[in-house]
Amino acid sequence: MTTLLAVEDVLVRFGGIVALGGVSFSLAKGELLGLIGPNGAGKTTMLHTVIGVVKPTEGRILVADRDVTRLAPDARARLGVALTHQIVRPFRGLSVLDNVTLAAGFAKTTHLARAIVSVSRTAERARARELLALVGIADYADAAPGVLPLGALKRLEVARALAISPAVLLLDEPLAGLNSVEAARLAATLADLNASGITMILIEHNLAKVAEICPRLVVLDNGRKIADGPTAAVLADPQVIAAYMGQDTSGREPGREAAHAGG
Amino acid sequence: MLHVELVLQGLVNGSMYAVIAVGLTLVYGLLRILHVAHAGLFTLGAYITVLITNATGSLPLAVAVSAVTVGVAGMLVYRLLYEPLLDRPPYVALIASIGLFICMEEGYRIVFGPYGNSFDTMQLTERINIGPIGMAAADAAMLVGAVVLLTGLGLLMKRTRFGVAWRATVTDPAMARAFGIDTVKVRYVNFFIASALAAAAGALVAVLNNLVEPTMGSVPSYKSLAIIVLGGLGNVGGTLAAALLLGVIEAYGTIYAGSFLDRDAIAFVFLIAVLMVRPQGLFATGRP
Amino acid sequence: MIGAYEITLVAVVSINLMLALGLNLITGFCGQVSLGHAAFFGTGAYAAALAAGGLSLPVVLVLAGLVACALGLLVGVASLRVREDFLAITTMGVGFVFLGFVRKQGWLGAEMGLTDIPDHGLGDIGFVGLCLALVAAMAALSWHIKRSWMGFGFAAVADDERTARTLGINAAAYKLAAFVIGTFLAGVAGAVYAYFTRFIIPSAFGFTVSISILTMVIVGGVGSIWGVVAACVVLTLLPEFSRVINDYKLLLYGALIVLTMRFAPGGLAGLVRSLVARRSTGGAP
Repeated sequence: MTTLLAVEDVLVRFGGIVALGGVSFSLAKGELLGLIGPNGAGKTTMLHTVIGVVKPTEGRILVADRDVTRLAPDARARLGVALTHQIVRPFRGLSVLDNVTLAAGFAKTTHLARAIVSVSRTAERARARELLALVGIADYADAAPGVLPLGALKRLEVARALAISPAVLLLDEPLAGLNSVEAARLAATLADLNASGITMILIEHNLAKVAEICPRLVVLDNGRKIADGPTAAVLADPQVIAAYMGQDTSGREPGREAAHAGG
Repeated sequence: MLHVELVLQGLVNGSMYAVIAVGLTLVYGLLRILHVAHAGLFTLGAYITVLITNATGSLPLAVAVSAVTVGVAGMLVYRLLYEPLLDRPPYVALIASIGLFICMEEGYRIVFGPYGNSFDTMQLTERINIGPIGMAAADAAMLVGAVVLLTGLGLLMKRTRFGVAWRATVTDPAMARAFGIDTVKVRYVNFFIASALAAAAGALVAVLNNLVEPTMGSVPSYKSLAIIVLGGLGNVGGTLAAALLLGVIEAYGTIYAGSFLDRDAIAFVFLIAVLMVRPQGLFATGRP
Repeated sequence: MIGAYEITLVAVVSINLMLALGLNLITGFCGQVSLGHAAFFGTGAYAAALAAGGLSLPVVLVLAGLVACALGLLVGVASLRVREDFLAITTMGVGFVFLGFVRKQGWLGAEMGLTDIPDHGLGDIGFVGLCLALVAAMAALSWHIKRSWMGFGFAAVADDERTARTLGINAAAYKLAAFVIGTFLAGVAGAVYAYFTRFIIPSAFGFTVSISILTMVIVGGVGSIWGVVAACVVLTLLPEFSRVINDYKLLLYGALIVLTMRFAPGGLAGLVRSLVARRSTGGAP
């Protein structure tokens, strides 16, 4: 298996706070990696560092053996890295369909000269409609994002990220905010996409769900990697259990997930 | 001697900028609004000072009335214009503020006439000599006034409950509310203080020039925007340093760069140069 | 028959339209608030005034546009380092620096400006035709950009720059493109102005001009071509037709800015859009 994404000794400092303290892991083509850890562990920062929204203080990011550490997010997107945001960020001035259409037109928007002479959106719209249908929000195509429920916006994030035909898809809690039927359906869709060859990193709080979908887990705690390996082994790791049990889970989704991890 | 005079002149202007800009930076620190209309309140303060002095013969009374009236006017500006715009992108309030400022200037022109007003009897005309250095009493009043006002503000911020509430609200409004701080009240008091400071600056400038005009706020307005950006938006200490620095740089610039650049443009050359090197401002405090 | 008065009206409206369409590209399409548009207008005017003696009119128009957009590119590059309200202050600064520089340059006539700019040689009808043709061309260009993928990209950058970047859009390049095209139009407008008045002074390119143009863009509805055109024509002609309005022009502009920002952020275009939406009960927008 070839390594598609490698994170090497990534250290991120915000002012005096160390958000990530030298994290390394790599991802083979076609893998579906679960990235888990208690609140504030640095999971979102990790994904932001991979897409390039956050620049690491130290360390390197490699995509298909190419060092992308110094590349801007748009250049990484063109190399096939896509992100869905935990806190949804639709373009509020564009319709749901246009949100996805814009992303689907990445080949046209990449070059200004091509962008200014290209007018037709037919092909990209068709592709966008397919993707909206795939994630199950085709009915909202012409609506403004502002009127959508959170569950639909989460799925819009996924559709939009898929529209740039990613090689690596970074999913930041895509299932949060969805009801159990929606979540199960989107999880199945993601698994299908993974089977079709898209490499993924999935952040998800619901450990039962993670255990169900992801064959491999990386666990972060306080900005450090504390475990990395097959899901069953990681969930049985006493250090991982301690990290989860040490956290006050009240107010979060239920503590039974931690119990599940322990049991 | 030239250098002493230049520096002194620079500090006089710089302290005027400081008193205006510190109010702007208080507003920005709290609400992230670039409050251009602040200079309109400055002009209003200057007019009220002159008119009431002429009516009553008492400059101190006039300054007091002006500070309170303008302080209330500032709260009204917040209530009627900014509060409804807080959730919009930052430039919306900025542009609205520019619109309001233009309205205010035109309003003064219509109400008070285009040619400006003066004190019936000129105020503070004496010269003061400190050792070899002589300066006009009005200049000295500007320096002393600025020091008194800014020290007072500093004490208010450091020593009082309001100061604590203000800082808590700036750092984390939600947390401040959780601790029982009335963040809405903090905003109103903030506008009152900032605007009263603008009025005091207006009064000082009125005395300094013995002239108030509808457009007297234009140049200080845009310049103090440059100053608060240089000072690292919302950073009070940085704003003061930037204001004084700009005053001195302008004083020198007028002598040494006056042949190819207008004095009022110096602030912006300085601003653009600094922003290119440090986009977060000269004295920024690592705001993300 | 058109007299001098009508020619003046056409010229003034056309020049403002060119400026407003250019600013609409930068601020409306791409979301980059510029408070210094008059500097590019002035750059074009000065460039044209200097070049008009030796070069033919079409060359002068293009040259003025190019000189202005060279400055625009510079400001654009600078603008990449600052965002939102910082950018507004920086562009405002560019306006003041432009004026402060020009006022002190002997070779640009300093405060007295440049006089004796050669006649355009087109005659009255020809000049009116030129104005209208340029406005039409710029409106068509705006319309094309808006529906092209470049306009789509602008909309994304204006909406959420960071997210646009994660979708492969080079936001920096888009912003530069907006600045270059928008300031080119301002430069051409400056050349037309120079030919029209035949003398230029620094104060014709002050902050008030930048704000007036911004008023037109905002009142029309940022990004909407027809809205901006309508607002520009009305706001330019009203003061011409009414002495009272002319006396209080700035007050009117200021009040319109405040009221638009406060109550109708979508401007004229936004108001019409919501009216239409309300009429067609529940139908597609």
